[in-house]
Amino acid sequence: MSTCAILTDTTLCTGCERCVEACREDNELGPDVPRRWKSRIDDLSSTRYTTILRRKSEDKPGVHFVRQQCRHCVDPACVSACLVGALQKTPEGPVIYDDARCMGCRYCMIACPYGIPRYTWEKPVPYIRKCDMCYDRVVDGGKPACVEACPQKATIFGDRDELIAEAHRRIKENPDKYVDRVVGETEIGGTSVIYISDIPLDFLAFNPEMGDEPLPKLTWAALSKVPPIIGGVGAVMTGAWWIIGRRMKLAEEAARDKRQDKATDEKALDSVQTSDEQ
Amino acid sequence: MKRLWIPCKPRMNNKNSHMNTRLIILKTTLWALVGTLAMVTVARGIFGLGATTALSDAMPWGYWNALKMSVVALAAGGFVLAGTVYVFGVEKYRCFVRPAILTAFLGYLTFVTILLYDLGLPWHIWHPIVYPQGHSVLFEVAICVMLYLTVLLLEFAPVILEYRWFGHSVFRLIHKILKRVTIPLVITGIVLSTLHQSSLGSLFLITPSRTHELWYSPVIWVLFFVSAVGLGLMMVMAESFFSAWFLGRKLHADLLSGLGRAASVVLFVYVGLRLGDLALRGLLGSAFDGSWQAWLFLLEISLSALVPATLLSFRRVRTSVPGLAICAGMTIFGMIGYRFNVSVVTFLRQMAYFPTWAELAASFGIVAAAMLVFIFFVERLKVYPEEHGDSADTPYGFALKGNYDPGTVQSLLPDSLRAVRRYSLAAIVAAAATLAFLPAELFSTSGLPKTPVAAARTVDGVMLARVSGHGHEISLVGSDSTDSMGNGRASLMMIDGNRNGRLVLFPHKLHVKAFGGAASRDTCVTCHHGNMPFDQNTSCAACHRDMYTATDIFNHASHAAKLGGNEGCAKCHADPAQAKTRTTATACAECHDDMLLADSMIEPPQDDMTGCAAGYMNAMHGLCVSCHEYKAMSEPETYGAQFGDCVTCHRDVDDSDLRRMKPYVMHTLAAEGK
Repeated sequence: MSTCAILTDTTLCTGCERCVEACREDNELGPDVPRRWKSRIDDLSSTRYTTILRRKSEDKPGVHFVRQQCRHCVDPACVSACLVGALQKTPEGPVIYDDARCMGCRYCMIACPYGIPRYTWEKPVPYIRKCDMCYDRVVDGGKPACVEACPQKATIFGDRDELIAEAHRRIKENPDKYVDRVVGETEIGGTSVIYISDIPLDFLAFNPEMGDEPLPKLTWAALSKVPPIIGGVGAVMTGAWWIIGRRMKLAEEAARDKRQDKATDEKALDSVQTSDEQ
Repeated sequence: MKRLWIPCKPRMNNKNSHMNTRLIILKTTLWALVGTLAMVTVARGIFGLGATTALSDAMPWGYWNALKMSVVALAAGGFVLAGTVYVFGVEKYRCFVRPAILTAFLGYLTFVTILLYDLGLPWHIWHPIVYPQGHSVLFEVAICVMLYLTVLLLEFAPVILEYRWFGHSVFRLIHKILKRVTIPLVITGIVLSTLHQSSLGSLFLITPSRTHELWYSPVIWVLFFVSAVGLGLMMVMAESFFSAWFLGRKLHADLLSGLGRAASVVLFVYVGLRLGDLALRGLLGSAFDGSWQAWLFLLEISLSALVPATLLSFRRVRTSVPGLAICAGMTIFGMIGYRFNVSVVTFLRQMAYFPTWAELAASFGIVAAAMLVFIFFVERLKVYPEEHGDSADTPYGFALKGNYDPGTVQSLLPDSLRAVRRYSLAAIVAAAATLAFLPAELFSTSGLPKTPVAAARTVDGVMLARVSGHGHEISLVGSDSTDSMGNGRASLMMIDGNRNGRLVLFPHKLHVKAFGGAASRDTCVTCHHGNMPFDQNTSCAACHRDMYTATDIFNHASHAAKLGGNEGCAKCHADPAQAKTRTTATACAECHDDMLLADSMIEPPQDDMTGCAAGYMNAMHGLCVSCHEYKAMSEPETYGAQFGDCVTCHRDVDDSDLRRMKPYVMHTLAAEGK
């Protein structure tokens, strides 16, 4: 099945931040206000769903611009973490969020390997905020606002498989320019926002060496053991109760029998004695 | 300290004023904490999480969450003891079952209460029932907690139903039924506890890249379960000490020693599993690499398990009351530490997190409330069944309702009101004190940290209209050289506009003019907000976000004058061998070390860019882009709609360096073949 995706070629980005502005306008985000919980103003926040990171590289001169946004993972950790299904991976590709379902546990923020979801901490009634790949536009057959705004076509929108092919084509054409890696093709199960770049993009994840296995598999390893645990613990406990209870009962009966035997013996002895006396 | 440990015989409250004082001090303190909680609750409800906690996007889970994990682990004694007595038939521990189940029940109630504070939308707490998402570990936790809370209530209900109010035959029937289903209830409770004690650990399976390797483990759920069993046993012990010390209950030292032995075995198993898991995955070495995490790990595992388990394996420790108490204390502290380390400490990376006092006060208040409920139940119900009915001088019970604090100062009020009055006073005073603390603390946490502001002052200065371009040149009159230059000598105002303790020249008149003149309604309020509460004037950086990149912020003449003419040159141009240019000069921040605001839109100067004056890119963009954009809008037919886009200038440059544009003039000259 084909899903939508965004390919960002960081070598084409000039850092003009038109995408950021377009995102701000389209989502009616309002101005960025410095707040305690926003570590840097150029990082993502609940009023900035995409941003341009400026990075320097040791071997490549100049400043490199890398657009930061939700990666819309193929098998998203946040979706698997959400206990009420407020975060959903849509069939079209975007990962979307439903205000009405959210209970505010913030497990998605913990689970995300890229640290993307943000919270409207300043509000007494807070919600999760992150890029939704302009889901409304995408369902109507349009492009995300950021892609539409890019004057350099540094960030393009299309079918995920086609974009991955395009990314490989660009790398093949210019092997000296690019790092030979399509970031997001397979990492942690793959993402719908993929990058090609002339510098390593390890800084985009908390840990660059996380393998290709999607994170939800890690939790499923434990979750799948729930039915056996219910059955196993229940059976062992019931069995233990029955066996131990029966043993105790038997021991008690044996003790009583012994007492009774003793009593009967004494009685018999008594009767013998009485009969003797008679 | 010896005196604190109660000998192994029951002490009766109304016969021992010493005990009363202790209990009264405890209860008054607890009530004061509950009073504080009331106000913090109001603040949390009105202002929200961001204003009352230290949580942030970098640390979305904090102290409340770790505490939730801890209270659930502390409540593990309930299922361990119920299982030991009902399933495994170790009857001698029966006296611990009721208090253990009560502790567990209150532990889970505490969990749910803290959850109500910690959830962003606590009124959606019921959502997991209607929107289940079975692939979430948190869903399993939620359902298990819900079910287990019900099971605990049913397990404890017979104790409540024994109270004299429930004499009706219906209640007796319910009591009878509940007694009959004890075994199924206990087994269900064990299954549910096994599931979610472990799944609290499974929560962190999804964070392999964030959790530190010494705490992350694929079998963390096994570790959580085993540690909870050990901790549960210790908690039963601690709870016995509490009841003996404060409530005059009998201390069964012989039985506690048995519990200690069991706990020792369980804790050794835990240490073995934890270290074995690390060793198998080849990570044991990082426990000794000298990092703070390694030291924390060693401290945690020694305190939580290794030391108490070793101590408890000695008979001498196990049979001494202080020995047992110290071991229980260590394990409880250490295991709470384990929960905190897993859910808070290992996540600390970029941003430091320390809970606000509101977070701390709320948790203390909730735990205090739980302790008050515990005391309330112990005073009125047969939580310790064996002590009731065996003697006439039972201190607590139905006959003495309202008189649970005997030995207080005589008063005209009836006994029942005396205690209530004292405790409500404590609660109200604490609440009022909290209220007094609230506003300033709360508002400062939500925005930027407050900085002291210096009062404005006037200085003599020179202000000249710039010959070319906008704006004025302003400088201080510091020496003869500047004085001789200026004929526009004026009294200038200096304000601490950036609230960093540094006064800067501020042309007030020019600002008034720029904002539309004093006649306009909106002019003054742009900076001065009138009498709005807790408000200050707008800081310079609110508008001048880019002031540090502008070239004309640096007044060379003024600096030369202030630093003492020619002798002062070397202060900035330190190396006489180098050309005296901006790039070789001392960085502005060397002297003006707090010039750049933490939240300024502008990045601090990069390492290769000394000084704060505009770089080439900023200068070019500032000069060209606005005009280009204007022309593209106003005369698209002449210049084309793309005239304002980046590609207009950044075209056909070398692939290797797309973002560096050759000077346009050079480019044009090259194109013309000159």
